[in-house]
Amino acid sequence: MSSLRSLSRPWIQLVGKEWRGLVVSRAWWVLIFLVGPLVGVTFIGAVRTYAEASGLGGTSAGVGEAFSPLDGIWVPTFVAYEIAATFLLPFVAIRLVAGDRQSGALKLELQHPMSPLSRIAAKALVLFGGWCLASVPALIAGILWKMYGGSTYPPELTSVVLGYLLNAGLTIALAAAVASIAENPSTAAILMLSFTVGTWILGFIASMHGGLWEQIAKFTPEAMLDRFQHGLIQLGTALVALVFIVTSLAVAAVWIRLGASTRRRALESAGLVAVAAILVVACTFVHLSWDVSENRRNSFSEADQKALELIKSPLRIEAHLAPEDPRRSDLEHGAFSKLRRVLPSVKVRYVSATSIGLFEQANTGYGEVWYDLGGKRTMNRLTTGEAVLETIYGLAGVTPPQETKPPFAGHPLVAAPRGAAVILYGLWPALVAGFGFLVSRRKA
Amino acid sequence: MREISDQFDHPLRPTIVSVAGLSKKYGTVIALDDVAFSIHRGEILGLIGPNGAGKTTLFECLAGVQPADRGAVAFGDGYETARRGDVLFYLPDGIAPWPHQPVEWALQFFLNFFDGRHDLYDDVVDRLDVAPLKRKRIGALSQGQRKRALLAMGLLTPQPVLLIDEPFEGLDLRQSRETAKTLRWHASLGRTLFLSIHQIIDAGSFCDRFVLLSGGRACGEGTADELASLARSRLGVTAPADFEDVFLALT
Repeated sequence: MSSLRSLSRPWIQLVGKEWRGLVVSRAWWVLIFLVGPLVGVTFIGAVRTYAEASGLGGTSAGVGEAFSPLDGIWVPTFVAYEIAATFLLPFVAIRLVAGDRQSGALKLELQHPMSPLSRIAAKALVLFGGWCLASVPALIAGILWKMYGGSTYPPELTSVVLGYLLNAGLTIALAAAVASIAENPSTAAILMLSFTVGTWILGFIASMHGGLWEQIAKFTPEAMLDRFQHGLIQLGTALVALVFIVTSLAVAAVWIRLGASTRRRALESAGLVAVAAILVVACTFVHLSWDVSENRRNSFSEADQKALELIKSPLRIEAHLAPEDPRRSDLEHGAFSKLRRVLPSVKVRYVSATSIGLFEQANTGYGEVWYDLGGKRTMNRLTTGEAVLETIYGLAGVTPPQETKPPFAGHPLVAAPRGAAVILYGLWPALVAGFGFLVSRRKA
Repeated sequence: MREISDQFDHPLRPTIVSVAGLSKKYGTVIALDDVAFSIHRGEILGLIGPNGAGKTTLFECLAGVQPADRGAVAFGDGYETARRGDVLFYLPDGIAPWPHQPVEWALQFFLNFFDGRHDLYDDVVDRLDVAPLKRKRIGALSQGQRKRALLAMGLLTPQPVLLIDEPFEGLDLRQSRETAKTLRWHASLGRTLFLSIHQIIDAGSFCDRFVLLSGGRACGEGTADELASLARSRLGVTAPADFEDVFLALT
C-alpha cells in the first residue's frame, strides 16, 4: 500500500505539471475560445431548422423522424466538436507531448524511474480533462434546449456523447503517438493532418470500390462516429476504438524513451501494431449492440424482431448493386444492418463490375437481390426494409406480424434559440478571454 | 606515480560507477570510441575536452537519455544492483525546461517528483542566489540566471552522483567562482560530481580528477599530477608547464 502510494505520488506530481502545461498552452485557449462560437453556429442553426420543420410539418407520422432531437439538434450541434477534434485538438495534444522534448524537460523527467506508459497516461488524462472543459458549451446548448421546452431522450444523447468522447480519445492518442515519433511538432502536425486526409481518401475509395476497402473504412473515426450518431452503440466498434487508443498511447510511450535505440523502438511499435491488428480482427466478431435511439431507427419493429428471431436457418443475400448505387445504401441502412443485429448468421454479398453501376443497368442481372434461406431461393429488386422483410417471411413461411405500436411521432418544437447567441457568441468567448488574460498575467 | 587504472578499486575512494567500452556513432561519425573510466565516491571528476569531443554524448549515454551502441556501465559501493536512475542524475546544458513556469514551481516540482533533498533547499537557493529568480518564468531568464536555476534543481536531486554538463557556461567570473564554491560545498556533503568542462584552466583548478576526451576517445584519466606523469612517460614530454600543456600532449 505504501509502495503504491510512493509510486502514485510522483505520478500525481506529473499530472499536476501536465495540467499547468496545458493551462499555459495558447493552443488550448484557442480551442476553448473557438468551441463556444462553433457550438453557437451549429446549435442555433439546428434549433432554427428544427423549428421551421416543426412549423411546416406538424406531427404527421410520415415525417416523425424529422422531429427527432437526435437528428435535429444533437448530431448537428456536436458537429462543432468533430471540427474541433479534427483541426484544433491535435495541435493541443502535440504541443503538450512534444513541448517537453523541445524544451529539454523530457531529458530531466525521463531520469525518474516511472514507466513511459504512466508518463503518457498523465498527458492523455490531462488532455482529456481539457477536452471535457471544452465540452461545456455543449452542456450549455443542452440546458438551453431544455429551457426552450425541447425533448431529450437520454440514451440517444449518451450515445452521441460517447461517440465524441471516443473520437476525442482517439485524436489525443494518435496525436501523442505522432508527437513522440516525430522529431519536432511541425512534423507531427503534418503527420496528423495526413492521417485525417488519409481517412477521408479511404472513405472515398471505399464508397467507389466497396469490398475490402469498405471493410477497412468502417474503422475510420468518421465511420465509427457515424454509428454513435445514429443512436447505435456497438460493443465491437467501441472495443476497436479502445484498441486504437491504447495502442497509440503505447506507441507514444515507446517513442518517448529517448534512451532506447530507434531500431528497438521501431520493432516494439511494429509488435504493438501487430497485436492491435489481431485484436481489431477479433473485435469484428463481437456483434453485441444496443439501439438506443428513441425511434428504433437501427432496428425493425419489436413485432418483426420477434418474428425474425424464430427463423433459425442461415440466410444468404446476394445484391447485384454497385457501391455508389443509392439503392445499395438504402438496402444496407434500411434493412441489412438491422437484419445483422437480429440474425447473426446472415451473410450479405454485393456483386458489381463497376463502382457507380451506371453502365451496368442494361445487364439483366443488375439490381437483382437474391435471397437464400436454408436452400430456398427467391429474387426481387425492391430495396425498402418492408420489402426485404416480406421476402424473408415468404421464404421462411412465416406470417408477417401485425404492428401494434403506433409509429414514432417525433417531438416537434417551434422555438427560437433565445439567449444562445449572447451566451455562445459573447459570454463564453469573453469568459475564456478573461481567464486566459488572467493566466497570462500570472505567468508573466 | 600511480598508473591510470580502469579497475574497480581505488586506493582512496571506492568506485561508484565504472564505464567500459562505451561507443556511439551518429551515422558514420564516431562520437564515442571505446570509452572507459571510473568515478569514485565523493570526488569531483572533470570531463575535459574541446567542443565536439563527445562530452555531452558521453553524459547522455551514461544517464540513459540516449542509447549507446556498445559498452557497459556498472555500479559499485553498495549500488551494484541499483537502477541507473537511482545512482546518476544528469543535468544537461542549454535547456529551458517548462519555460512558462516560475523557478519556484520548478524547484518544488523537482523536490517532489524526484523525492529530492528538502533539507538542502534553503542553502542551495541562498548559495546560488536563486531567491530573486523564484517568481520569474524559466523561459524569461538570461543564460546565466537559467544556469543557476538549473544547477539549483540538480543539487536538490537525491542521486549520489550528479553529472553536470558545462556548469560554468553562461556565468560571469563572479558567478563562476560562487558556483564553484557551491559545488565544492555540495561535494563536501558526500555527493559525487562529474562535470563536463571545456575551459581547461577552470577545470584544472577545480576538479579532483579528470577524464580527458578528444575525438570521442578517452585519452587519459587521473589527477593533474598523474596526467602530467602520463604525458611525460607516454609521449616523452619534458615537464609540461601547466594543465593545458598536459591536455595538449595527451589529446
